[in-house]
Amino acid sequence: MDLPLNFDINGIKACQRNRHPLLFVDRVFDVIPGEKASGLKCFTYNEWFFPAHFDDEPNVPGFIQVESLVQTFIMSFLSKEELRGKKTNFLSINNVKFKRKIVPGDTLTIHATLQSFRRGIATGSAVSFVGDAPACSADFVVAVPDILDQFKPKSAP
Amino acid sequence: MSNLEKYQHIFKESFQYDGDLEQLEYQGIAVWDSVGHMQLMAALEDTFGIELDVDDIIDFSSFKKGKTILAKYNVVI
Repeated sequence: MDLPLNFDINGIKACQRNRHPLLFVDRVFDVIPGEKASGLKCFTYNEWFFPAHFDDEPNVPGFIQVESLVQTFIMSFLSKEELRGKKTNFLSINNVKFKRKIVPGDTLTIHATLQSFRRGIATGSAVSFVGDAPACSADFVVAVPDILDQFKPKSAP
Repeated sequence: MSNLEKYQHIFKESFQYDGDLEQLEYQGIAVWDSVGHMQLMAALEDTFGIELDVDDIIDFSSFKKGKTILAKYNVVI
C-alpha cells in the first residue's frame, strides 16, 4: 500500500457508512491510516439545505460543517483495512469554533488528526478552511460500536 | 491518596456515581455501558500505569471483581 492514501467518493463510501443526503465530504486525500486525513467538500446551491438556510442568505448550517469535519476525521481510522465499512457514533464534540460563513461556491478543505484509537474509541480533532481562511474547528471522541462490543464484560446480556 | 481511594475516585468520576460502589456491576447503572466500560478501563490504565489484557477487560464485570483483576498487575486495592 502506497502512502498517503487518497479516496474518491466511492472509496469514501467503502470506508464509512454515511450516505446522501448526509455525506459531507467529496474527496479524501493525504491519508495516513491511524494518523491523519484531509478532505474536500464543495458546496453548490444545489445542496438540499440552502433553500431553507436561508432563502435570502444561503449558508451552510453549523451542524453540517461539523459533519464535514468528523466525516474527514473518521477516515483517519476507517481507512485501516480492518475497520473499513464500520459504523461510528459520536461520544463527544468539544471546542467547536465557527470562524466564517460558508456560502454556495465555497470549497471546504479539512485537516483531521487522530490522537488515539484505543479499543474502539477514537480521539482527535479537525480544522477546516475556505482558501486560507479558517472556517471551523472541533475536537471529537468517536466510538466504533462493533469494536467496543468485543470488550463487553461477560455478564452483559 | 491510597490505591483504594484512587480506585473509588475513578468510578465516581467516570460514572458521576455516589451510590454503594461495592455493589456496583456492569450495566447496574445506565452509564456503565460498553462505552462507559472503555472509558473506565482507560482511566484505570492511565491512573495505575498498566495495560489491561483483553481477557481482563472482559472479566471486569463489577467494582469487586476489578480489585481482583488489578491485583494481577501488582495494583493492590
